[in-house]
Amino acid sequence: MTKDNDHISKRKFMEELYRYKRGSVTRRHFLGVTGLGTASAVLAAAVPALRPRRAWAQGDIGDRVVLATWPNYHDPANFEAFTEATGAAVDVNVFGSNEEMLAKLQAGGSGWDVFVPTNYTITTYVGEGLIDPLDAARMANYDASAFDPRFAGPGIVDNTLYAVSKNWGTTGYAINISKNDNVTPTSWKEFWDMTMDSFSGRTMVHDYQLTTIGNALKYFGYSFNSVDPAELADAEKLLLDAKPHLFAINSDYQPSMRSGDAWMTMCWTGDGKQMNRDMPEIVYVLGKEGGELWSDFYAIPKGAPHLDAAYALIDFLLTPEVNAKEALFHGYPVADSRVNALLPAEVLNDPILYPAAELLDALEFGAAATLTDPNRAELLARFKSA
Amino acid sequence: MNKAAYAPPPSKATLGPIAELRNVSKRFGDILAADGLDLSIMSGEFLSFLGPSGCGKTTALRILAGFEAPTTGEVLLDGEIVNDLDPFRRPVNMVFQHYALFPHLTVAQNIGYGLRQRRPRPPRDEIERKVKTALEIVRLEGFEDRRIWEMSGGQQQRVALARAIVNEPKLLLLDEPMAALDRKLRKEMQIELQNIQRRLGMTFILVTHDQEEALSMSDRICIMRDGRIVQTGTPRELYDQPRNRYVAGFVGTSNFFDGVVESVAADQAQVSVKGGIVLAGRAISPVAVGQEVSVSVRPEQIRLERANAADRPGWPVTILNRIFLGEHTEYLVKHESLGEFMVLTPRQAELSDGPFNAGERLMALWEAGGALVLKQD
Amino acid sequence: MTQRSRNLLLLAPAGAWFLVMLVIPLTVVLIFSFGERGAAGGYVPAFTLDQYANLPARWAAFKNTLILAPAGTLASLLIAYPLAYYLAVRADPRWKTVLLVLVIVPFWTSILIRSYAWIFLLGGRGIPALLAAIGIEDVRLINTPFAVLIGIVYGYLPLMVFPIFVNLDRLDKRLLEASSDLGASPWRTFLQVTLPMSLPGIATGCLLVFILLMGEFLIPAILGGGKVFFVGNALVDLFLQSRNWAFGSAVAATLVILMLVTVTAYMRLIRRLGAQREDVALM
Ligand SMILES: Nc1ncnc2c1ncn2[C@@H]1O[C@H](COP(=O)(O)OP(=O)(O)O)[C@@H](O)[C@H]1O
Ligand SMILES: [Mg+2]
Repeated sequence: MTKDNDHISKRKFMEELYRYKRGSVTRRHFLGVTGLGTASAVLAAAVPALRPRRAWAQGDIGDRVVLATWPNYHDPANFEAFTEATGAAVDVNVFGSNEEMLAKLQAGGSGWDVFVPTNYTITTYVGEGLIDPLDAARMANYDASAFDPRFAGPGIVDNTLYAVSKNWGTTGYAINISKNDNVTPTSWKEFWDMTMDSFSGRTMVHDYQLTTIGNALKYFGYSFNSVDPAELADAEKLLLDAKPHLFAINSDYQPSMRSGDAWMTMCWTGDGKQMNRDMPEIVYVLGKEGGELWSDFYAIPKGAPHLDAAYALIDFLLTPEVNAKEALFHGYPVADSRVNALLPAEVLNDPILYPAAELLDALEFGAAATLTDPNRAELLARFKSA
Repeated sequence: MNKAAYAPPPSKATLGPIAELRNVSKRFGDILAADGLDLSIMSGEFLSFLGPSGCGKTTALRILAGFEAPTTGEVLLDGEIVNDLDPFRRPVNMVFQHYALFPHLTVAQNIGYGLRQRRPRPPRDEIERKVKTALEIVRLEGFEDRRIWEMSGGQQQRVALARAIVNEPKLLLLDEPMAALDRKLRKEMQIELQNIQRRLGMTFILVTHDQEEALSMSDRICIMRDGRIVQTGTPRELYDQPRNRYVAGFVGTSNFFDGVVESVAADQAQVSVKGGIVLAGRAISPVAVGQEVSVSVRPEQIRLERANAADRPGWPVTILNRIFLGEHTEYLVKHESLGEFMVLTPRQAELSDGPFNAGERLMALWEAGGALVLKQD
Repeated sequence: MTQRSRNLLLLAPAGAWFLVMLVIPLTVVLIFSFGERGAAGGYVPAFTLDQYANLPARWAAFKNTLILAPAGTLASLLIAYPLAYYLAVRADPRWKTVLLVLVIVPFWTSILIRSYAWIFLLGGRGIPALLAAIGIEDVRLINTPFAVLIGIVYGYLPLMVFPIFVNLDRLDKRLLEASSDLGASPWRTFLQVTLPMSLPGIATGCLLVFILLMGEFLIPAILGGGKVFFVGNALVDLFLQSRNWAFGSAVAATLVILMLVTVTAYMRLIRRLGAQREDVALM
C-alpha cells in the first residue's frame, strides 16, 4: 500500500461528484494549493500501523521515503511494487506550485527525500544550496546517453548532475472546436482575439504568472521569458483588456472544459491529452508563435533524511519498464529513449504528446529569472485584482 | 382621579352574562385540564377561580383569553360564541402570572402597547393621556420612562395591571397576580385591586390558590378541583353552605368528624362517629342513611366553658395548645373519642371566662345549627 | 492569594494567547508594511510609505471585499433568520436537536469540497441548464459575484443561524402571548416583540460573519474563478506568489484597520439600538 491511496480516493470522490468519466488530472492542481493533499499524506505517515512490514531488501534502506510531487503524476501500483521490493513505504506530499516547493525548502525541515522540480527552478535551488548533486553510480538504471539532452539538460548545472529527467511537456491551449465551426486555430494571436470576441466569457487562463504572462507576450511576438518593462506593459494591457471576457483565472480548467462552461483554456500537455481522449472535439493547440516547453526532474534536497531510500526510489522509477507504466498512467512524454521504445506506437505518434519538430522548435524553456521576476509577479497580481 | 375615562363601556351584557363557559373541556394528551366547565360571568363582577395548584385554573383563564381552544364545549363573550376567535381579536386582557412585561420597552410604552395595536390607531396624545391616567390609577405617576428591569416586583405588577386596564377590556383576567409579592405588599395590592375594580366597574376574573385572597376580594368564587368546578357562589354561601367536605376545607378552616348517617329527618341528620358518639347536624344536600359523611364544625362555632352545667350537652376536652392571635385565641383541644380539634375563641368571650391554659380540662360545646353534615365529595 | 492576583491568573492564558497570536503578529505586520521587498522576495527593513502609496493597485480587491462582505452578511441574515425562527419557535421540540444537527452537518465537510459542489450546480449543466429548459437561455452564474455570494451564504449560514437560534430559543414565549393578548396580530407581534428581542442574536451573527468575510479568500477563489478578487486573495498572491511581504503587510494592515473602523462603527450603532434594552450585553 502506498500513501498515495489517500489522495486517489479523494480524487475518486471528486470524480463521482462531477460524474466525469475519467476525472480531472490537472498538473498544478488546486488541491495542492489548498494543502489538502499534503494534509492527508502527513496524516497517513503519522500512523505507523498503516506502514507495511519490510518484505525484502537489498541492504537496509529504512522503512519509508518521502516524495514531494505534483498531483496525479504517478502510478500508485509502481509505489506498491517499490514497497514490496524494498520494504520502504512511499509518503507522497502533493504540491500546487514551484513557488510553494521553494518556500518549503527555504524554510527548512521539509523532511523530503525526493522532490520533483521544474526545469527553471533548478539553478535557483543550486544557487541557494538547497539540493545535493546526484551520484550517478548509485542509480544503476540511469543511463545519461538514453536521454534527449534538450529535456535532460537543465538537470546539469556547472557540469554537475543535480536532477534527472522525469517527464516533459508543452504549454499550449485546448479549444472545443465544436464552438468554433470545427475550425482549429493555430496561434496565440487567435487565442486572445477570440477571447475578446466570439469566445467572450468562455476562455480560461492559468493562475500562474509564467504561462499567463508568457502567452500574452506571445501575442506580440515577444519572448515567453521577457522581463522587458515595455514588453510587459503591452502584455499587461492585453491581459486587462481580456479580463472582462475571461470565464476564469484558474489552473484547474478540466472540469469547466468538460462541462462546457469553458470553451478554450491555456493547457498543459497531459490535460490536453486527457480531455482530447474523452472528448475529441477538444483539441490541443501549440501557438505557432511559440510558447513554453518544460521538463520536470527528480532531485534530492540537501539533508534528505532517508538518502539510501531516495536513491533507491529514483533508480526504481527510472527503470524503463516502471517508467513506461508511469507514462501510460499519467500521459506525459518521457525523454528516455529506452522508455519510448517500450511505449505503443500510437502514443509516440500522438501529435499532442510529441508535437511536430517545427512547433517544438518555436518553444522556449521557462527561465529561472522569469519565475522570480518581481515585476512579472506584481503584474499578474494587478491583473487578478483589477 | 379621572374616573370618567374608565366608565364601564355600555354593554348588552348588563342584561345577560358578559362571558360564558358551556360544558367546556380541555384535554392535553392524557390530562383533562378542564372537565365540563359551566359558568356565567356577570358584567362588573369580581369572580375568582380558587383551587390547588394544577387544578386547571390557568387553563380556564387561557380558554377565555383565547390561548387555548376548548376540546369540547362553547365559549361565549357578550353572547357570541368565540371558540375560533384569535386572542388578539378578543376584547379581553390578561395580567400574566409573571407579568410578561416587554423588557425592550419603557413603562409607558408597555402600557400604551395595547392602544397602539388598535385600528384605526388612536392619536398620539390620546394614547399619552390614557397611559397617564392608567399610571395614576396604579399610582405610578412619574415612572413613564423607567425601564422594566428598574422596577421592583410590586411596581412591575402594577405596570402589568395598568397595561391591561388601559384597554378597557370587557373582561380582565388575572392569573395569580400577587403570587410573587411578599405578604404585606400582597395585602395592600388586594385592597387596591378591589378598589380599582369597583371604581372602573370592570369585570375581573382572578385566579388564585389563596383562599383568603379569594374570600376577601371576590363577589363570587368558583371552587375548582381536578379540572372541574365543585361549587360556585358568594364567599358567604361557600362558607355557610359548602357543598361538600372539600369546599368546607378550602373555604375557611373546619373540624371534620367522619362517620355514617344513622337517621335523617328533614335536613337534620344524626351521624355516628368514632367511639359510638352520635353528632347531629344540618345536611346541606340530601344524605341517606348509611352514607359516609363528615360532620363539619367551624372552630369559631365552638365554645369552651370551665363550669359545666349538667343540662348542657358538651364534650369534655383537654387543652393541648394555645395560640394567641390578638383578636382571637386559637386552642387545640382533645376529646378522648372525637380526637383533636380546633377552637377559636373571641377575645370578648375570654374577658369573662378565660383565658384557658394548656392542660386545663374544660367542656367544649356548639349549637346544633353550627354543625353541618357534608358529603365526602 | 489576593483577589487581584487571582484575577491575573485567570486572565493569564488568554493574555498570553492574545499576545502571541494577535499582538505580536500584528506588530510584525505593521513593521513589515513600512519595509521593502527583497530582490529575491521577502522583506528588507526600511522606513518608507511606498507600500501604502501603492495601495490603489489593489483598489478592486478592497472594493469587492467592502461590497460583498456586507452584502453576504445581509444575504446570510435574510436566509438564516427565518430558518433560525423556524427551528427555535415553530419546530417540534422533539426534532429541534436533529434539525439543528442537520444545519451543522455540512460543516463536517471541508468548505472546499462543498464549494466544489456549487461549481457544478452553478455551472452550465446545473441551474442554467434548468433555466434553459424553461426558456431562460444563456444565464451565466459561475465565476460571477453572484456565485460568490451564494457560496458565502451557503458556507456561513450556520454561523448566522446559531446566535439567532439561541436568542430566539431563549425568548420568553409568554411575551408573544402578552402581545397577542394586547391586540397585536402575529405579524405585528413579530415586528414589535420577536424582532427587537432577537437583535442581540442578529448583531452577534452579523459580526461573526462579517469579520470572517472580510478575510475570506477560498470561496471567491473557487466560485469566482479568480475573477472576483477579495483582499484575502490579494494577500495569498502577495505572500505565496510574488513573495512581496512588505506590500502584503501594508495591504493586511489596511484591511485590519478597515475592519476595526467598520466593526467599531457597527458596535456603536448596535449599542445605541440596544441602549434601550435589558440585555445590554450584545456581544
Ligand atoms: N400546554 C399544556 N400541555 C400539557 N399539559 C398542560 C398544559 N397546560 C396545562 N397542563 C396541565 O393541565 C393541568 C392544569 O394546569 P393549570 O391550568 O396550569 O393548573 P393551575 O393553573 O390550576 O395550577 C395540569 O396538570 C397541567 O400540567
Ligand atoms: Mg396557574
